[in-house]
Amino acid sequence: MKSLNNVMLLLAVILIWSCNDAIDIQQPGRLGAEEAFQSAADLEQGILGVYNEFDVTQEIQFNAVFTDEISIGFDNGGQGLGNGEYGFILNAGSNAPTALWINQYDALNAANRLIEAAVQITPEADEQAAYNNALGEAYALRAFAHFQLLSYFSPDYADDSALAAILLDFVPTVDQQLPRATNAEFYALIESDLNQAANLLTVESSATFVSQDFVTALRARIAAYRGNYGQAATFSQELIDKYPLANRAEYEAMFLDAINTEIIFKLERTINDDYDGQGSTGSGTAGGWAGANFAFVDGTIDGSPYFEMGRSLFNQIDPADIRFDVNINNTSIISPDYQSAADFRNEDILVIGKYFGNEKPLLNDLKVFIASEMLLIRAEAYADAGNFNGASNSTAALLKQLRDARFGADTALPTFANEAEAFGAILDERRLELAFEGHRWKDLKRIGARGNRAIDRDPLDCAVNGACNLPVDDFRFTMPIPLVELNANNNIQQNPGY
Amino acid sequence: MKSKLAYMLAPLLVLCMSFSFAQERTISGNVTDQSGMPLPGVSVIIVGTQTGTQTDFDGNYSINASPGQNLRFSYLGQKTVTRLVGSSSNIDVRMEEDAEALEEVVVQGYRTATKETSSISSQTITSATIENRPNANLVQTLSGQVAGLNITAATGQPGAAPNVVLRGQGSITGNNEPLYIIDGIPVDANAFRSLNPNDIDSFSVLRDAGATAIYGNRGANGVIIIKTRQGGYNQGLQINYTGITSFSTLQDNKYDLMDSQEQLQLERQLGRGRGSILSEAEIAAAPTFDWSNFFFDTGVTQNHTLNMSSGAENINQFTSLGYFEQEGILSDSDLKRFNIRSNINGKSSNDKFNYGLSLGINYSESNEPNNVGGSGINRNYILGAYQSVPYITADDYTNGADLLSPLSFANTPLFLLDRLRTFTRQEDEVQLLGSLNASYKITPSLTANVVLSSEFRDEIRTTAEGPESFNALLFAQGKDPSGTQFQQSTRQFSYNQVTSLNWAKVFGKHSLDIGVYTEYFKAHFQEFGYTQEGLDPKTFAPGDGSAFIGDNPDNDFYVDSVNANILDSGLFSYFGSLDYDYDTKYGFAATLRRDASYRFSGSNRWGTFWSLAGRWNIHNESFMDGSIFNILKLRASYGTTGNQNIANTGTPGIYFDAPDRTRDLFATGTGYGAANALFLSQIGNSTLQWETITTANLGFDFEMFNSRVRGTLEGYIRTTTDLYLESPISAINAVTELNTNSGELENRGVDFTLNYDVFRGQDFNLTLSAVGNFNEQEIIDLPTEDGTVIDGGLTALREGGRLDEYYTYRYAGVNPANGNLLFLTADGNVTENPDVDNDRVFLNSNRAPDWNGSFSLQADYKGWFTTVQMNYAFGVDRYDFDLSGFQSPDNVGQFRTTRDLLRAWTPDNRVTDIPALNATNRALGGSSDRYLRDADFMRLRFATIGYSFPAKALEGTGFSKVSIFANGENLLTFTKWRGFDVETLNATNVTQSRLYPTPRTFSIGFELGF
Repeated sequence: MKSLNNVMLLLAVILIWSCNDAIDIQQPGRLGAEEAFQSAADLEQGILGVYNEFDVTQEIQFNAVFTDEISIGFDNGGQGLGNGEYGFILNAGSNAPTALWINQYDALNAANRLIEAAVQITPEADEQAAYNNALGEAYALRAFAHFQLLSYFSPDYADDSALAAILLDFVPTVDQQLPRATNAEFYALIESDLNQAANLLTVESSATFVSQDFVTALRARIAAYRGNYGQAATFSQELIDKYPLANRAEYEAMFLDAINTEIIFKLERTINDDYDGQGSTGSGTAGGWAGANFAFVDGTIDGSPYFEMGRSLFNQIDPADIRFDVNINNTSIISPDYQSAADFRNEDILVIGKYFGNEKPLLNDLKVFIASEMLLIRAEAYADAGNFNGASNSTAALLKQLRDARFGADTALPTFANEAEAFGAILDERRLELAFEGHRWKDLKRIGARGNRAIDRDPLDCAVNGACNLPVDDFRFTMPIPLVELNANNNIQQNPGY
Repeated sequence: MKSKLAYMLAPLLVLCMSFSFAQERTISGNVTDQSGMPLPGVSVIIVGTQTGTQTDFDGNYSINASPGQNLRFSYLGQKTVTRLVGSSSNIDVRMEEDAEALEEVVVQGYRTATKETSSISSQTITSATIENRPNANLVQTLSGQVAGLNITAATGQPGAAPNVVLRGQGSITGNNEPLYIIDGIPVDANAFRSLNPNDIDSFSVLRDAGATAIYGNRGANGVIIIKTRQGGYNQGLQINYTGITSFSTLQDNKYDLMDSQEQLQLERQLGRGRGSILSEAEIAAAPTFDWSNFFFDTGVTQNHTLNMSSGAENINQFTSLGYFEQEGILSDSDLKRFNIRSNINGKSSNDKFNYGLSLGINYSESNEPNNVGGSGINRNYILGAYQSVPYITADDYTNGADLLSPLSFANTPLFLLDRLRTFTRQEDEVQLLGSLNASYKITPSLTANVVLSSEFRDEIRTTAEGPESFNALLFAQGKDPSGTQFQQSTRQFSYNQVTSLNWAKVFGKHSLDIGVYTEYFKAHFQEFGYTQEGLDPKTFAPGDGSAFIGDNPDNDFYVDSVNANILDSGLFSYFGSLDYDYDTKYGFAATLRRDASYRFSGSNRWGTFWSLAGRWNIHNESFMDGSIFNILKLRASYGTTGNQNIANTGTPGIYFDAPDRTRDLFATGTGYGAANALFLSQIGNSTLQWETITTANLGFDFEMFNSRVRGTLEGYIRTTTDLYLESPISAINAVTELNTNSGELENRGVDFTLNYDVFRGQDFNLTLSAVGNFNEQEIIDLPTEDGTVIDGGLTALREGGRLDEYYTYRYAGVNPANGNLLFLTADGNVTENPDVDNDRVFLNSNRAPDWNGSFSLQADYKGWFTTVQMNYAFGVDRYDFDLSGFQSPDNVGQFRTTRDLLRAWTPDNRVTDIPALNATNRALGGSSDRYLRDADFMRLRFATIGYSFPAKALEGTGFSKVSIFANGENLLTFTKWRGFDVETLNATNVTQSRLYPTPRTFSIGFELGF
């Protein structure tokens, strides 16, 4: 028994000595932030992480549901209704502003980490090009994220003194509560980032990665939003010259992700990536397959479309237009006389076709910049300059050029009595051309008044909740700063109306 | 093994018959006390029978017994002695004094005390009120039995862990589950699925800091100490068999749902769904199919336990075999379990060395449907059971492919019927529980102890969606064949070691007990799994890989995903305890513990937790002589405990959750275009630490009128500081919440237990009991400037409020003018168009009860016995979104609705509680408080009635005990709640509906002893 006594004592001694193995535990497979980036190759791997933070399905979803692109589908299980955006309900707790805000800052945080890490890395000579390109991509993506924030949270794109969002060009600490910066400060940083990117990027054109063309396209869009139509004309023309409009077959193939004729930049989506799956259906949080913003299963009538194409939009599309084929799935049931249908919802089923899916149903690349947008920006610049009529170098000429391509036939040259008609026609064309690509709400906000256009829902579509129209000067054409930020940040200012 | 088991279970009757042929003879002898003086009046009983006698004035006895039988000698104040009848006809016994025999032992965690000398707040539940209940999870059985312990079912899934909260939720985002210790082995709430409740001897619930501070940063949510049954020394073989069969059914609802005719008529009226195209005659002829009867069915449970115990001079053992099979009331949910337990205790002949080994081997297999509570009409069986339209019948089903087109929501029951046939989700678990304790008395006052214990759990979870199922075809996404199989293998091993030295000494009226301890805990977790896309229907069998389809060069449809994960965790502590008593009148106890957790090794390594407790045994004072009190004790304690289980995600479990939240981490993995990328994965908090709960406790223990009235009354204040919270941080950090220690929370309340022996006699006994807890919660401090944490949900937090407080705009009825819904603005003005953000107000209510507990009655008359237990909970408010669905006019045409809609507003029926079916603002109702309902209840939780055959009737049969009983659970509920089960609640998503309700269960059983 004495030996037992000793064993006990020994055990106690061993325990005191060996206690640290129970406390100092390094979990396997962890990579500390300090060791993450050490070489140019790490930056190249890191930039793939930065790209991965970018998603525009929230834009696609919100612009479609809040405005007049969709209607409630026959297989709707409450999506968009209740507190949903289809009722023009938008507040600090809404999903869309929350997701848009968070996503851009996720992306900015990632880009800043990469940019700051790059400073610490001295690339070998044979790594210099890769190093430069990765850094250039980071700057360009940072500019893009900042502009996304501005376009949803700034009350007026053209007003330099209006507030945008929080400017973030550094890696923040968790205790920082930053106020919003002005549009002027945003535009300045964006320009400086784009200049940096233009100096660094080694890639001229690339459909799925940031290139010099991406920088130009972003500059064109910014200039148009800002009302700097001179610049907008220059930048957009540069790309119009470079990217021809697709013919009808090419146009169809482009939305099946088979070819990239007009694609200046799109976010690649593929099987087994982080976005391969049904996201948050019917909610501004979106994510996942782009097509799952409108249907649960696939892009046909049997794919359970919970949102269908709005009747008013449908009424605008000529069946001879290739955009009819692309935007409306051929399994749709089109009521010959929808206004007198007994059961409108079940007799007029307009299945949205734009995100039919390529590798899988509903899985499509997300188009960010396409040539036709550049053409329409150029058309705006002409209209702004008063050149809206005429067979060449005019709004009318460009609209005809676009319609000719989409119809595959000669179309009539439009004529406009005044600037408002020209802007109205541009808005109408953008509505068709950029349908379900996340533009409509922003377009109505910035030039709706100038073109005398507003949200246009068919009375039968909006009977479900009585939300038929909303003036373009309504406060809900600026998003609220989301509650998640208000809760955390005492220096943030809410937008008017919320 | 298998044949042996069959032998043990089957021929019990044969076995006992053989006993009765044995020969009897007269045994006689003399019984003395330790000093050799004859002891008169000692009870001598043949173990397992009612046959007995007493010693005479000279300590002599004689009795007729058979060789192989045991004689038990018992006398007040002496240790009971059992002797085996052998060849000799003379058995003399020398008995020894038993100092503790008069007093119940009180479990105090690492040490024990007597009822008189205990200064802590605890309550012990013995096997008498646990055994033979039909619940697969023994924790569920405790519901209502312990004051302050609020147990609510999370689901009706057999074996699932219930929600357990002691004295109010003390943590918001951290884990709230008490520390469970089974025979020295720390386990989590998931350990109980595989355990046999009939092996349990006692549960002790430690409540105040005096009891729990010694558990340091594991003790904050209370400690439940579970002891399994043990054999006794010097005791012949006792065999006990219990068999129970139970029948479970769905509880009733009060939704008043429509039949097919009413449903179709309403559809016709609204021009939606099948009713809009049927003629009157067709509607009249439509069948009404009750889908709740289809998805829910009577579940049969079988429960067999066989145990054997015996003991010799220096060794005893308890062995138990259990088999349990329970069908859940929901189709495809069940649990099968097989248990073996072996507990062995031994000692040296000089009593200096004692050891015990406790071993449990458990295997369980369960089918557990997933997606319960979700809104997937193709996933959640509960949704199908409740909401399916009654005019579609099971006969409408052909196969999964036929449901693809047209894809209609109304086919919900058929989607789910298909899923029942084609979907498998099964969990197999092996659990080994083992502990070894040993103690050695180095000197009469100094003892060295060690407890080594471990738990091993290995689970394989298989989920398979057959290739021809509706869901596989629907989401085939180009795959042909489709189908998915997912398997995850999880292994968890934990090891705990407590080494201690205890010194105890009595100096006259003073007694002192000091202990010093070290505790070491280490746990390892490993999991791996795969998801196989594509199964060939010709060779598909759930869990098997024959049907796997390989990747091919044409597409990436059949690329499988794989995963693996390793986590480790550990704790190290040293601590001490000091107990002092003066003349069993006054006493105090102090504990001090230093604790280190692996979670905070980078931030706050060591925590110190302590407690002080004191008592005054007033009844031992001379001035109490002749008072009505047999016992009157005043106790007070104050101290701190910690909660290092700062996350509550469920997987990988409390040991491994949030292992290194102090660090900023990057990760590699899927990035843009599915390429391998490098990205930020975690923002750390370098100041993270445990939550601290400080408890002040004041209590009285009393027994009055010859102990006819017994009870405990105590009040407590539990304050959680450094409350673990998701503090909002600016989105610029790529996260919007950071785990911080930044709030303060207080729970204040009263626990009471009261027992009253109304009748106490030879033939008839009747005891009434009441158990209760009142708890009030207040959030003292939140990390935001304005003292609120509000997100988009229906609940929010505010200083001065309670957890999960409902926060939304208020519903105010139906506008008689137009049938629209009316709401209140934040200022209380009536509006049809509330601002869904700014009109929200705090509603002063949540889902936690203010009052909960039980009333019970126990009675026996001759051989008859009965127990009735009524549980209650008051102050509970919950959302009834099932009702919301049933009352939604938008569901008409797709789902089933309630007859309530028949009284909807119309121009002719303006004063009503149901808005017009086409009210333009009806969509706003759902997130108002319209469906927030009173969920108070009073429930006949348990009732049993049984009969034990008297010893006389059993004479010569070989049985020492035969009893039969019938019992019921959830027999009757009084509540305003209209749903199937007022109790079932998802604690982490308090507004979730469509949950798996707990059943009503009837059981019959019998118990045989040999």
